[in-house]
Amino acid sequence: MANGALISVSNLAKIYANGVGTIPVLQKVNLKIFPGEMVAVMGPSGSGKSTLLFILGLFLHPTRGSYHLAGEDVLKLDRTAQAEFRRRRVGFVFQSCDLLENSTVYENLEFPLIYAGVDRRERPARILAALEQVNLEHRIHHASNHLSGGERQRVAVARALVNQPQVILADEPTGQLDRSHSHLIMDHFAEIVKKAETAVVVVTHDPEIAGRCTRVCSLDDGILYEG
Amino acid sequence: MRLDDLLRVSVRQVLRHRRRYLGVVLAIALGVAGFMLVMTMSRDFKKNFNRDLNLIGGATIIRMYFEDLPDHRPQWFRTETLAGLRRIPGVTDASLVALAGSARTNWRTRQYYFSLLGVDDSFWEVRGLWPLKGQLFHDADVEARKREVVLGTELARRIFGSQEVEGRYMEIDHDLYRVSGLLGGITDSSLANSAFIPLTTAQDRVSGISLPNRLYLRVLTWDDVDRVVAAVPAAVSAHQSADLLRVEVSWEALKRVKHVAWWVEFFIYLALSATLILGGFGIWNVMMAAVRSRTREIGLKKAMGAEDRDILAQFLSEALCLSVGSAILGVALGRLAMEVMGYFIGSSPPLDLFLICLALGLLFAVFLGVGAGLYPSIQASRMEVVSAIRYE
Ligand SMILES: Nc1ncnc2c1ncn2[C@@H]1O[C@H](COP(=O)(O)OP(=O)(O)OP(=O)(O)O)[C@@H](O)[C@H]1O
Ligand SMILES: [Mg+2]
Repeated sequence: MANGALISVSNLAKIYANGVGTIPVLQKVNLKIFPGEMVAVMGPSGSGKSTLLFILGLFLHPTRGSYHLAGEDVLKLDRTAQAEFRRRRVGFVFQSCDLLENSTVYENLEFPLIYAGVDRRERPARILAALEQVNLEHRIHHASNHLSGGERQRVAVARALVNQPQVILADEPTGQLDRSHSHLIMDHFAEIVKKAETAVVVVTHDPEIAGRCTRVCSLDDGILYEG
Repeated sequence: MRLDDLLRVSVRQVLRHRRRYLGVVLAIALGVAGFMLVMTMSRDFKKNFNRDLNLIGGATIIRMYFEDLPDHRPQWFRTETLAGLRRIPGVTDASLVALAGSARTNWRTRQYYFSLLGVDDSFWEVRGLWPLKGQLFHDADVEARKREVVLGTELARRIFGSQEVEGRYMEIDHDLYRVSGLLGGITDSSLANSAFIPLTTAQDRVSGISLPNRLYLRVLTWDDVDRVVAAVPAAVSAHQSADLLRVEVSWEALKRVKHVAWWVEFFIYLALSATLILGGFGIWNVMMAAVRSRTREIGLKKAMGAEDRDILAQFLSEALCLSVGSAILGVALGRLAMEVMGYFIGSSPPLDLFLICLALGLLFAVFLGVGAGLYPSIQASRMEVVSAIRYE
C-alpha cells in the first residue's frame, strides 16, 4: 500500500491466451502515480501500452499483480463496482478515439453524465464547459460521423473530462492533432492535474508531448522503466 | 440510469434506425390490426353473414308452436309472452303467426286453394322476406286491421297468371282483400303458395283460422341459438302454461354453419398468429443483429461507466419500443379498418371491444418485446469492455 499514491501498481503481468498459444505482453510492471502527476508512457508499437491502460481503466483484468487506487484494491471489485469505478474515477481516451456513431457530439458527452446520474438540467453547462476546453463548443450539435479525425479526438478528450475524473487515461490523445491543438490539450491536462487528487497517464509516441509530462516511463519487453 | 433518460435514448435509437426496423414494425402492426379487426368485427360479420344465410334455410330461426292435442284446450301465445321472448338476450325479433291450413278463393269461375297465414309486421324481418312487388304490410296496417293480402309468387301466378298483382282484389272467406304486394326473398314452396294477411284481420274475419299458436324467433348469430333455446321455456312459463310448447331448430343446418364458421375463424386466427410470431422472430433477429453490429457502442458505453443492467435495460427498452410502437400503430390501423368495415357492412364498431383489444394489444406487445428482446439484451449486457472495444 503506497503512502499517498493515487495509483499503485506492483508486479503486474498480462498474458494473452489465444487459440495458438500465450502472448506475454506485460511481464513486470511497477508504477506509482501521485496526485498532481502527469505520466507519459512510451514504447514501441505492440509493447503493451494500450493493454496497461486498459488494466488501469479496469477494462481488462491482469493475469498477476496488484492494483490499488487511492488505497483501495480495485481488482477485487465486482462488476457493478467496476462500472461505478469507471464512471466516477476514470476518464478514458481510446487510441481509436471511438465515438458513438449516429449520435451528436452532445449525446456523446451526455452518456457519461447519464450513467453518473447527473441531473438533466446540469448537463448542458458541463458538456459545454468540457467542449470549450478542446475548442469545440461550435460543434456541439454536430453528428459525430461528420467530424474530422482531429475533431473526433478532441471530442473523445472532452468526453473523458466531462465527469471530472480522478484519473485520466489517454491513449495517444494527440495522435491526429496539429501542434497547437496537441499543446492545448496538454495545457488542459496540466491544469487539471494541478488540482489536487488528479493524475493523468498519457500514452504517446511524441517526445515533445512526453516532454510536457512530469514523468516519462517506457515499456519494453513487458517491463516498465522509468525515464 | 433514470427512466426518462432510458426512454429518450431508446426512442431516439429506434427512430434513427427506423429503416432497419421497418419490416418488423409493419409485420407486427398488420398482425395486431388484423387480430383486432377479427375480434371486434366478427360478431357484426356473423350477423350479416347470418342474414344472408336465411337463404340457405334460416339456421338461426327458432320455430315454436303449441301442439294441438284432442283432449287439451288449444293454447296460443299471449302478448306478454311475446314481449318476454323478445327480451331474451340474443333475440333480435319475434313474430306471431296464425295459420289456416286451407283457404279458398274464386277467380273467373275457378277455385283456388292455398294456405292462409295471419302474421304480424315482424314476420317479414324474422323470416328474411322482402317485397318483390308492391309492399308488405306494416304495423300500422296490422293495427288498423286492414284487409290487405300479400301473395306468394307461385300463388299469384296460379291465380292471376302474372306478377302484376298489386292493387287487385281477391276474395277470402267472403271478404274482399286488396293485394298489396308480392313476396320476395328466398322462399320455400310452401311460402310461395301462401297468402298473408294481418294477424288482427285474420282473427276478426277469417273463420277456421287457428289461434296465434306459432311463433318465430330470430336470433342474432348462430352462437346465440343454444342459449336462447334454453331460455325459451322459462320465458314462456312466466306468462302462461308451457306444457304443450314445442321448440324447433334446424339443428343440422346450425351445426354445419357453426362448423364452417369455426374453420374460417380458425384459419384467420392461424394466419394472424403466424404473422405475429414472425414479427416476434423479426424482433429477435433484429435485436441479435443489433447486438452484434453495435458491439463497439456497447463497449464504449461500458467504458463510460454503464453497468450491465444499464445495457440490458437499454436493449430491452429498444425492443419494447419496437413492439409497443408497432402494436400502437397496429391498433390505430385496426381502428381505421374497423371504421371502414363498419361503414361497409353498416354497423358501428363496438367501443368496449375496441378498448379490450387496445389493452390486449399492448399487453401482447410487452410480452413480445420482452420475449424476443431478453436474450439479445442479456448477451449485450454480458459483453466484456475490451473485447467489445477491440472488436472490428
Ligand atoms: N485479445 C488479445 N489476444 C491476443 N493478443 C492480444 C490481444 N490484445 C492485444 N494483443 C497483443 O498484445 C500486444 C500489445 O497490444 P497493445 O495494444 O497493448 O500494444 P500497444 O503498445 O498499444 O501498441 P500500439 O502502439 O501499436 O498501439 C500486441 O502484440 C497485440 O497483438
Ligand atoms: Mg495502443
